[in-house]
Amino acid sequence: MRRLVVIEDGDEYAEFARVFLSELEIEAAHSAADARVVLRARGADALLIDLRFDRAPAAALVGDVTATAARLFAGDSERALRYLQDEQGTLILADLRAAGFAHPALFVHDFPPRRLANLRRLYGDVDAVPALDAAAIRAALGRSA
Amino acid sequence: MLVLCGCAERDRAWKRADELWQRRDPAAFTAWKSLNPSTNEGARAHAALARADDEYRRGIALLSGGDDAQARTLLAEASRRAPIDPALYLPLARACRARGLDGRAAAMYRKYLAQKGVSGAGDVAAARRELGELGDDIGAPFEPPPEAPMPAVWVWGPSLLAAAALVALALVIAPWRRRRRASLEALAADHPELQPAIAFLVGCLRHELLKHRIIAVGDAVRAVAEGKLDDKERRFLLTRLYGGEPLAVAWAGHLGAFMRALGPRIDLVRRDPAFAAAGRAIDAIAGAEAGLGRGDSDAAARVLEAHGRLRAFDAALGGFTTRLQHTVVDGALLDAMVGDVRRELGHAPVEIVMTAPAGGVAVECYHFDLTLVLRNVVRNAVAAAANGPEPGRVAIDVAVALEPTGDEIVRIRVRDTNPSPLPAPAQALEARGLTLVRAALARCDGSLSVEAGGDGFAKCVVVRLFRALSAAEVAA
Repeated sequence: MRRLVVIEDGDEYAEFARVFLSELEIEAAHSAADARVVLRARGADALLIDLRFDRAPAAALVGDVTATAARLFAGDSERALRYLQDEQGTLILADLRAAGFAHPALFVHDFPPRRLANLRRLYGDVDAVPALDAAAIRAALGRSA
Repeated sequence: MLVLCGCAERDRAWKRADELWQRRDPAAFTAWKSLNPSTNEGARAHAALARADDEYRRGIALLSGGDDAQARTLLAEASRRAPIDPALYLPLARACRARGLDGRAAAMYRKYLAQKGVSGAGDVAAARRELGELGDDIGAPFEPPPEAPMPAVWVWGPSLLAAAALVALALVIAPWRRRRRASLEALAADHPELQPAIAFLVGCLRHELLKHRIIAVGDAVRAVAEGKLDDKERRFLLTRLYGGEPLAVAWAGHLGAFMRALGPRIDLVRRDPAFAAAGRAIDAIAGAEAGLGRGDSDAAARVLEAHGRLRAFDAALGGFTTRLQHTVVDGALLDAMVGDVRRELGHAPVEIVMTAPAGGVAVECYHFDLTLVLRNVVRNAVAAAANGPEPGRVAIDVAVALEPTGDEIVRIRVRDTNPSPLPAPAQALEARGLTLVRAALARCDGSLSVEAGGDGFAKCVVVRLFRALSAAEVAA
């Protein structure tokens, strides 16, 4: 059975995957650190990653709030934190790639094509589906198999 | 003074009763009942309660008799009118259960059980058992939102003349207001200052209702239509689609938010065909609750068709807000900006060099906001250069950089030759201008910073924005 590691700040994607992608073994992770542990211990065939992590504690986020604030938001830490939360899925992928995990990654988000192209340029095997749609997820995972 | 105190107390009592109802608190019924019927508010509340009570009871009877459509209409009317008597929770729960409306039945059982002393212990035990038989958490409140609350004070007597004048004025204004009502796209085109609010409201509608509740159940609805739905999928479908706030109520809530924020200029239901069609699709899904719960394939086909329409509606809304939120920074835009500033400053003796990106670069910012910000920054730079060492020079250029998130950052740099730091706003008008610039930048998640100039320039103001990575700009 293929293994899918679902990385999200809640449980919605994993819950969906267990119901509608029952042919896959699903394991959930809620942060980059969590995901590294899961991948080291049991591996995976693919990653399903949520983009927004607005329920995750700030300490668990990938990214430096102060440095991001200085670089992008004229020192505004609140906006920097929101940006890191909103884009956390991509930063978790960056973290995993830096740690040597090259698994195919699938986002549930309607990225504009250019953004997806950028993510592929940065992180290799990356795909996205616009909504929680089992057939689309299966097709995307099939492409990367 | 005594009269004033009486009014204040009466107002407080009504306000509390109304707040309870707005929150759908079961205590609302008692609070309404306890309003003094000799006051205007109390009299209106008691009349509404009596009428609603009749409608609730007839609605329950119709539901029990299998007339779901009539029952739905009556119950919705009743619940817009006044709170339900808690004594009716149990009969309503049982009627819903008998018709397969499990989510609504569960919600009513829970409300009933949360009440103390509504009925005998035997009923409580039976209600617990019946709720347990319904299975998982599929509870949902029944009621649509209340109508606009009654006025806290209804003035009689000497104010009748004023009231009559208001009615006459309303009769004159109403046709004029109707003529002014417009579709959302027309309103956005005619009023660029409303575009941020429109984009925000559309975003809420798409993410809270369309994407998370409706589009997310496509697989489950297809499974019903194909007769392949298992128990887990059925629970997922019912919880997502019919759990929580009823769909029609959620839809009305979003439309209400548009009206409240944009005013009477907007009438989405009557003047915007896309919204009108979406409303019909929502109604179709809401009306198929019992059928879907039974696994009825006809109901699933209706929902699937409505689902497809709402999916297309969501995509169209996405395209619409994308168009609103994107502005192309190119030579033409910078030329226009510099021309405006030169006219404003009386052709200051400053050399201005612009380097626009070939073909332009689209940024995530409303045109209205971007021109406001850039005009301010360029004006300040030209004014500073004119007052600094000669020859005064200003350079404007645009650079793009890739972020680890896959985003691209656009930095519009405006450099000048005056070494003095940017002055703090000296007058109220300047301070107001700065506030507007900050607000505009906050809306598009942009920022403003000051850096060293380089290349013979004293300082550099950087407007940082996100590049709009729209479909038209796929990387070659």
